[in-house]
Amino acid sequence: MMQALYFFFSILVFPGLLFIINISLLYTGIMRKLTARMQNRIGPPVWQPFLDVIKLFSKENINTENARPGFTFWPIVVLASTFVLALMIPVSGMAPLATSVDAIIIIYFFAFTSFSLFMAGLSSTNPFAVTGSIRGLVQIFAYEFPFVVAMLVPLFFVGTLSPAIVNAYQLQSGSWLFFNFPIAGVVFFICLLAKAEIPPFHVPDAHQEIVGGYHVEYTGTRYAFMEIARSVKIFVLISLGIALFFGGASNIFLFIAESLIMLFILTVISVVAARVRINQVLKLYWFLGFIVLIELIVRLLI
Amino acid sequence: MESRNDANRETKQEAADRKKRTYALPIGPQHPALLESENLEVFLDGEVIKDVIVNVGYLHRGIERALQNRNYIQCIYLAERVCGICSGVHTISYCQAVENLLDLEIPNRAKYIRTIIAELERIHSHLLWAGVLAHELGFDMLFQIVWRDRELVMEILEELTGNRVNYSMVTIGGVRRDISKAAIPRVFKVIGSLEERIRNHMKVFLNDKILLSRTSGTGTLKRSEAEELSLVGPLARASGVHYDIRRDHPYAAYGMIGWDTATERGGDVQSRVIVRMKELLQSVRIIRNCLMKLSTTGDKIRLEKNCLAVPENEAMSRAEAPRGELIYYARSNGSDRPERVKIRTPTYSNLLGLRPMLKGQFLSDLPMIVASLDPCFSCTDRVALIDTSTWERKSLTENEFRRHIENRRREK
Repeated sequence: MMQALYFFFSILVFPGLLFIINISLLYTGIMRKLTARMQNRIGPPVWQPFLDVIKLFSKENINTENARPGFTFWPIVVLASTFVLALMIPVSGMAPLATSVDAIIIIYFFAFTSFSLFMAGLSSTNPFAVTGSIRGLVQIFAYEFPFVVAMLVPLFFVGTLSPAIVNAYQLQSGSWLFFNFPIAGVVFFICLLAKAEIPPFHVPDAHQEIVGGYHVEYTGTRYAFMEIARSVKIFVLISLGIALFFGGASNIFLFIAESLIMLFILTVISVVAARVRINQVLKLYWFLGFIVLIELIVRLLI
Repeated sequence: MESRNDANRETKQEAADRKKRTYALPIGPQHPALLESENLEVFLDGEVIKDVIVNVGYLHRGIERALQNRNYIQCIYLAERVCGICSGVHTISYCQAVENLLDLEIPNRAKYIRTIIAELERIHSHLLWAGVLAHELGFDMLFQIVWRDRELVMEILEELTGNRVNYSMVTIGGVRRDISKAAIPRVFKVIGSLEERIRNHMKVFLNDKILLSRTSGTGTLKRSEAEELSLVGPLARASGVHYDIRRDHPYAAYGMIGWDTATERGGDVQSRVIVRMKELLQSVRIIRNCLMKLSTTGDKIRLEKNCLAVPENEAMSRAEAPRGELIYYARSNGSDRPERVKIRTPTYSNLLGLRPMLKGQFLSDLPMIVASLDPCFSCTDRVALIDTSTWERKSLTENEFRRHIENRRREK
């Protein structure tokens, strides 16, 4: 009985959905504030994303005339699949839905969230959304391979398919796997930028070119879903990075400290770079994939 | 004129082919990449732009007609409001036209002050442009920093003229306010720090790897194309056309001080950046020279001239606005109002360059290329055809337009 209660608590409250939604929205707010301060602006308060989401939930959903049936369905799928991801990735060593083959499920669900965003954009049939969706899909082809290979490097090293065990291994040995595999670590970090669609890789939602990409037509609750999913995705990627490369975390305070440092580095990169073009994204990531693949093969042979 | 249009016009077969292969993306009239309303119909094949149709005419304000209803002094303030960014050079150009009508030669001190205002304005306009370009590239950091530095020049303009945007400094026969001796050291100081910062931004624009990979080689416009389409301003100079009104037909004090024009050969966005950055440094030099010369001139800043009855005459005046050549044509009829004032703004000529620049480029580069032109659409719109019975807006082909003009002439 207690065990079942604890299971539900861990899924719904800590480190489950309630905690993750709140902290990821807060992180988005911190990121916005940091960006603003770096750009000599005052910026919104850190709780601005909460206000945005609350406001969006109170707005009506507008159905466009040409929208396909999936228009309502896919945003929910986007949110649901990011939640699954969030529950599989160890936050301070705890992953409520952890299994022994997490890594494979994580890889699939990361691809699936990107795919469902693509479908969401496509089903709105707006030319800007369609262009953004296609760009998003092209970007998946670019970053997915180096991302997966970079993920596999520490997993193979420890000999497991569960990020939680890598996390524990790092804590036990006291060393960061990043220093063992600097190339894979850097590649993972660069892929993280593209996966989270943070500048300079915000190609699919480049608002100067295609207004907003996928979510041009989305309003109200559906848009709120997509915004939450976006924030959660950034948080999930950061916690995955900590578990695999950046030292791991045994308690929540250590975890927050580490993730804030990562968030800071992410923000600095996003601030000092211009957006790259989609063909440059492809070129860059295939190059990265090649390098990290060599590292993986070398490590496997040694 | 005729042959160029024929070359640009596609056959019916070509149009049908294009429709089959491409899909249309409407950029504008409301779009984040455009700061004003204007429509670009872009035909895409994947991410590559196959063709562009430029539709202007969303911002017609009837300023030329309104100028005919005001007397010469009132017109100064209306001409100032043709463009929100290059307001100073519009008044300079308008006042020069009226001075030409009246055969006036303004005092030297007024010439120097006009030059200082025009160049300060060029600095503010080019910095604004650099910020917009950085923003269109997705580089918001640079955008914010450049615009922060633009505040320096805005403050100087406010100190000298009393206003940040519409300076109301120039008037017929001279200028309205003198630059006092006390203000000069402060201007020197700010100009010095501005120069340092401009050099800093230049370093970023010329060395940042991602910026370079986006800007160099994109939106290329050959020298022959620029000459054929008679483009003006920094856009033409970036393609290697040596054409600068300030040098070729000096007005105000440009013939009396030392400075250089900036030209580049590349014709791509990167060259446009370099040209404008060099121009910024030249503007700093011009302002310095003018400020130094101010002490050698007399105190007179304005010739009092009665503008209530301007004798029948016609005159033209040209000036180099930040965006290129600006032309004012004025015709007087002996009354206190101009019979006709015709304005040709630089964007009007430069818009023709948009199509050759955009063809074959990536959609990702479209906002940047459009911004590299430094368009000012509200200045460009000169005429709107509206059927008063249905209130529908029409656009005419060249032949229809000629017929329309001939009909009008016959009616008269």
